[in-house]
Amino acid sequence: MKKLLFSIAFAFFALAGYQAFAQEPEISPERKQAIDSLALEKVRDLSKYIKLIGAKNTPWSEANRVIDRAVELFASDSEIGVSSLSKTKVEYYKVRQYLERLMRLNYDRVEIDWYKIQYVSDLQRQPDGTYVGVITIFQTFKGYDAEGKLVYQDTTKKDITVYVNRKETQIGGRLVGFWDVLLGDMRVKETTLK
Amino acid sequence: MLKQLKNILMIALVAAITICGSTSCNSSKKLSKKEYKVKVEQAERDLNALLNDETEWTLEEQQARLEEIKETDFSSKNPEIMEMIERAEAKIANDLAERDRLAEEKRLAEERRIAEEQRLRELEEQSQPKTDLTDYFTMIVNAKDMTSANDIIKQALNLFEAPDAVVLIRLNNFGDYDKPTTASNYLNYLKDQKTINVGIYNIKYNANNKITELELIKK
Repeated sequence: MKKLLFSIAFAFFALAGYQAFAQEPEISPERKQAIDSLALEKVRDLSKYIKLIGAKNTPWSEANRVIDRAVELFASDSEIGVSSLSKTKVEYYKVRQYLERLMRLNYDRVEIDWYKIQYVSDLQRQPDGTYVGVITIFQTFKGYDAEGKLVYQDTTKKDITVYVNRKETQIGGRLVGFWDVLLGDMRVKETTLK
Repeated sequence: MLKQLKNILMIALVAAITICGSTSCNSSKKLSKKEYKVKVEQAERDLNALLNDETEWTLEEQQARLEEIKETDFSSKNPEIMEMIERAEAKIANDLAERDRLAEEKRLAEERRIAEEQRLRELEEQSQPKTDLTDYFTMIVNAKDMTSANDIIKQALNLFEAPDAVVLIRLNNFGDYDKPTTASNYLNYLKDQKTINVGIYNIKYNANNKITELELIKK
């Protein structure tokens, strides 16, 4: 009987605890909107960085600086998928390795553009408080030779996982709460000629 | 008889010493005619010098001398000195007032000079084409190439206390911020992204008018 009462009490408190967590107030729609936009902006920032790193006229020192900035956008150990029309297998590289390969691509001119940057899975609050979502992008890649002839092009659809965490830091004697957006793996979904 | 004579001599000696001593004391309190004459002559000389501006004494020294002269009573025998003392007192008072007036005038003139210099300096600063932070943002974003952008960033960083001065980006007015960054990184971010989507929300300066903290807000 004692054991039964203990089990009921334990179950009650466990359930109450779970409900208390589940009922923890969500942030207001306006604030959620701001975080959604911030995460999308980080992906757009990445698209500019990738364009700069790939561009052959970007000075070497600048390209390396931009690589550092781009790497900072990602969670550590994140990977980026690389596909090709000539290969069925998608290769995955650590972010820095991917970006350094991109900088050294064997074309005389490279054009990389991202478009249709949007959520395929909205940011959802996880039990640990992290907001997780997936943003999809379409990337067109064009490689030209020395004569300016287009020698390779493809369009790849990629999904990027996004993690948003609330953090705090001390600045000028006051506590500032900020949203730390980190990108996770960038998975190749499909690659087509155009 | 001899003893009586001795006593008389002793009394006479004591009396002589007493009389002599008291006379000597009296002469130190009262001026002799000769001494008084010297005092009068000296007083006349000094007072004339004071009245005719023939002395190099300061006004304070003149005042002190006058007080010294006034210690001797000339009223009964030399009323003309008393009249000179009155005139000298009036003159010194007048000179002191004039000196104070000139000092005040000089102070006011100095104040006016400093104010005028400040006004001219401000006028000069205002007339010089001034590039503010938002102008630099626009110039960086519109720079024709990275080298030009870097030159502008270098100039813009002069507005900051240090390249790593804090830059905060407000997402809204609910206390949500983007991850804090630095002045140098933010200006380079503008160069890379070639777009501005923030406005200035608040700027904190140090005593040298350099930015220590920049707070931006998303448009």
